[in-house]
Amino acid sequence: MRSPTPIPAPLLRKPHPPFVQFIDLFLMEISNWRWSWRSIITTGMIAPMFSIIAIGLFARDSGAGATAYVLTGNVVLALMFTNMSRMASRFAYMRVAGTLAYYATLPIRRFALILASAVAFLTLSLPAVLFTILFGSYFLGIKLMPHPLLLMILLLCTLSLAGIGALIGTALRTMDAVLSVTQVLTFMLLALGPVLIPPEKLPPFMYWVGYLSPATYAASALRQTLLGGMTLRLWLDIGVLSGFCLFSFWLTGRKMDWRQD
Amino acid sequence: MSIYALNAVSKQYPGQSQAANDQISLTIHAGEIFGLLGDNGAGKSTLVKQMMNLERSSSGEITFYGRPLNDEPLRLTMQVGYMPQNHLAINQLTVGEAIYFTAHLRGLTRRDALAERERLLALWEIGPLRHKTSARLSGGESRLLQLAVAMAGSPPVLLLDEPTNELSPQRRKAVWENLRRLNQEAGTTIIFITHDAIEAEKIIQRVGILYQGRLVALGSASDLKKQIDQQLRLELFFSGANVPQLPAGLTPHVLAEGRWLLYIARDQVETLLITLDFQRINDFRLYSATLEDLYLHYALADTNTRPPTA
Repeated sequence: MRSPTPIPAPLLRKPHPPFVQFIDLFLMEISNWRWSWRSIITTGMIAPMFSIIAIGLFARDSGAGATAYVLTGNVVLALMFTNMSRMASRFAYMRVAGTLAYYATLPIRRFALILASAVAFLTLSLPAVLFTILFGSYFLGIKLMPHPLLLMILLLCTLSLAGIGALIGTALRTMDAVLSVTQVLTFMLLALGPVLIPPEKLPPFMYWVGYLSPATYAASALRQTLLGGMTLRLWLDIGVLSGFCLFSFWLTGRKMDWRQD
Repeated sequence: MSIYALNAVSKQYPGQSQAANDQISLTIHAGEIFGLLGDNGAGKSTLVKQMMNLERSSSGEITFYGRPLNDEPLRLTMQVGYMPQNHLAINQLTVGEAIYFTAHLRGLTRRDALAERERLLALWEIGPLRHKTSARLSGGESRLLQLAVAMAGSPPVLLLDEPTNELSPQRRKAVWENLRRLNQEAGTTIIFITHDAIEAEKIIQRVGILYQGRLVALGSASDLKKQIDQQLRLELFFSGANVPQLPAGLTPHVLAEGRWLLYIARDQVETLLITLDFQRINDFRLYSATLEDLYLHYALADTNTRPPTA
């Protein structure tokens, strides 16, 4: 073994800015799926498709308003909860496999890693989201009127629960516990509030509690930017979703400990 | 200048009666090669993780360049390259990617990170593996990649947990040579854990011996050896039938068939070598106490009555 070039002098350099860290971490995280992206995309399409078929068969008799909720509710499901669940599983795996310890030995910001992982999942979920929108539109007979703000809403929907997913993945001891908690949280947040079901069909209690759930605002923002009919309510939705993003990342930054004990 | 200072550091895991390590105090100086020896479960890996801030100490304090570890976590991770005992956890990356991304995240420019990747691929002779994913490497190849990843970005301090595990004797020798050269040429401070005490002795400058979580010896290898033992070791190799005749009073320890070990005083050496019938001996080896002897001495001693010696 030989040393072909001189060994550089000990460093006095500084860590890269968070955005540069994010780019590297995004590439590292998305490379996790270099062999399995086809199956991830395919399975990401199947669940919303069957959900649209199953719920849509009933909703079609309830009018255009109900089918709009079925379509956007399923997009919310694909974006927020699938990604939150994947984030939780990914961080749990990283903790067990030692990947988090590897990252912890590098001069990087925690939120850059969470953001990179979330955006990697968003990238992977985009084909499924697009398919869900197109299939839902066709099956439910809904005319799409997408607005450019839709892209921002998709990002906000993904990121609003990404930090929570990372926190669950690192805080809970076993993978079973991680899966159980994310499932309960998913169903709770989907059921509470007008996400899949129009508000007039919900019991008053669930309707009002829904205002505490980010899924309610995500579904509302998606309906307006995907199906048209934007109102001032959109800015409330964007504000609340942004608030959830900030809260989620703040909480994760404070509480997530990637040390091994 | 001290890099690390550990002051009465202990680690107690919840639900375990015995501390993983207990009241460890030591200082690591800039530019030294420090070896941590000890049996399995002695608390070595835990201590190194505490020094890398991967495990929180239950009590005591670790300072890095005079400041507590948690004061500036990014400073620690910029300056220290860590090689864990288990295999590389970024298995999805290729060998080249793992080195490149690590070097870049340690602050190198993209161009310098590419050059660093080439340097380390050549240094550890893993260039042909550059496109192979880490998950598909053999145990030895994976260790070499881990060494390259720990060194990526040329951090001035290396914390290596059993760097020669799973390596062939030839590779082990090369690892120690490369580490010694790195220390001499770049002044890199190297702290490592090893069970390979005989090989490590060639480069080790100071040693700490952990036994059941306690630091039972600390100092330069030569000083510690002087304290425990002035006797020399004479190994004799002979064919099974040609058993050598020994002077009265010398009792050999049989290491294997045709291989004896004698403990002799320094003033006995000359007389003994004159007395021995070399017609009956194929080969012999004369040496002073090794690090392994040192470790065994302290490991077998009663730790409750033996404080660290330096």
